[in-house]
Amino acid sequence: MAKFVAIGERLSTTAPIINKAFTERDPEPILKRAEQQLKAGATYLDVNIGPAESDGEDLMKWAVELLQGNFDNVPLALDTSNKKAIEAGISVYNRAKGKPIVNSADAAGRIEYLDLAAANDAICIALCNGEGIAKDNDERMGYCQLLLERGLEHGMEAEDIWFDPLFLVVKGMQDKQMQVLECIKMFSDMGLNSTGGLSNNSNGMPKAIRPIMDSALVAMAMMQGLTSAIVNPNDLRLMETIKSCDVFKGNTLYADSYLEI
Amino acid sequence: MPFTAKSGKFSANINTLTMGTGDKAIVLGGENVLPFYTFDAPIENAPKVGIEITDGGMDAEPECVKKYYEGCSTVVDMAKKAATFEGVDFLSIHLEGGDPNGENKPTEELINIVKEIADAVDLPIVVCGCKNVEKDAEIFAKASEVLSGKNAVMLAAKEENYKNVGASAGLAYKQIVGAESADDINLAKQLNVLLTQLGVDAKSIVMNVGTAAAGYGYEYVVSTMDRIKAAALQQGDATLQMPIITPVASETWGVKESVATEEDMPEWGDQEARGIDMEVETAAADLASGSNAVILKHPVSVATISKMIKALV
Repeated sequence: MAKFVAIGERLSTTAPIINKAFTERDPEPILKRAEQQLKAGATYLDVNIGPAESDGEDLMKWAVELLQGNFDNVPLALDTSNKKAIEAGISVYNRAKGKPIVNSADAAGRIEYLDLAAANDAICIALCNGEGIAKDNDERMGYCQLLLERGLEHGMEAEDIWFDPLFLVVKGMQDKQMQVLECIKMFSDMGLNSTGGLSNNSNGMPKAIRPIMDSALVAMAMMQGLTSAIVNPNDLRLMETIKSCDVFKGNTLYADSYLEI
Repeated sequence: MPFTAKSGKFSANINTLTMGTGDKAIVLGGENVLPFYTFDAPIENAPKVGIEITDGGMDAEPECVKKYYEGCSTVVDMAKKAATFEGVDFLSIHLEGGDPNGENKPTEELINIVKEIADAVDLPIVVCGCKNVEKDAEIFAKASEVLSGKNAVMLAAKEENYKNVGASAGLAYKQIVGAESADDINLAKQLNVLLTQLGVDAKSIVMNVGTAAAGYGYEYVVSTMDRIKAAALQQGDATLQMPIITPVASETWGVKESVATEEDMPEWGDQEARGIDMEVETAAADLASGSNAVILKHPVSVATISKMIKALV
């Protein structure tokens, strides 16, 4: 089994400082955060430029070239609802360290993102969700099937579609948590890769609690077969948990210094 | 449906490492397939064979090896002769006389031998220590100094002395640092991590992950090497992509199959043939399990293994 893929989530327009840097094309805050995430063990970096309706193409190209140029062609997840911006990003993307990830398709209005990924030989995150939150795993797996077929029809390899069960917030949807974990097991039993915004679970919780909840959930999810997650790699507890679980799963070979590499 | 063979080629490679300098320099590693799987992808650098002599000279050699060095009076003479044997890619000098619990030869005396050999022979050189970690640290520091610029291998740094050996051989004199772990895969990885954290270039590290004579717990050797190659190639683990060098002679020439005389064991047949068999079988198994180089003693073993490699790669 391959090592768990941590996708760093901290380059996002939801962070005011990054939003400003994207708008002003100011490299410094972006490079700083990228470096922090890579040092902490992120494999991919998510580049969330928001809807970016006016200048998305130009912005995504700039961001891809900036990050890959400074960090040895670091692999990236291109995250925006602007499809043209994703294509523009891929047009300047260097694949030496891994295919680009299209973030993301779903089973409703964003299903065409799969077509886009297929046309560009990219990985695609496929959110098993339609309109509103899926009521049960029958519904989730229905979407999974739909997305899988769509991708395969367009010539994708199944391994390049990373299924997202949609992690749900504990405060308000505590009763759905085991469903999500069972859904991951179903993906895994089908031999599919999976990912998702794991820290959704701890939204609204006190800051000191979130790493604890995220770590517990990632361990349980990895046991179920989760192969990747979009996370904050600068959460030390979380990254230590992921590295430890990789050892237990045989994804990496243990050495006393395993947390340092 | 037509059968499409899946290639066993990996996207990761074993590091390439150059031993020695000039015309006689050799390259270890570089492959992205399992040992001898040339049908999956070409193996550019075939495994290499070294011959071992010791600071003890003729006296330290088994009876059956002595005749090949007829006329040699010094270790340097032996080194010159060894370099002419068929299939020899590099020379290994085993400084076993340095052991404080044995002959306890002074480091200077041993280093003089190393230097004289290096001046007389242009093959790549491996310096094997005496197994005492403190003495080895001293020996490797001095040997690295006198072999400066020769791209020699210091075999090897261990958990107890990696800081000293890494600092002298790796950092100060830019030699190749051997990392020794006795059939302990987690330690093999850990030593590589520690050496690189010290500043030693990962591309200048070669692993001795241990061996046993065939039949003496050998399954541990196979399992260790198998798992190292799997981690290096399949999981792309950069901390285990160093080539493997395996001293075979020091294991096989001490076991009863090689040591027992024909008088004592008439039913076992010719002693020399047995010794060669043990060495050849062990070396072949080490290579099939993933060693990029083996160190042997008997000239017939060297020629045989070298021929086997040429037939397979």
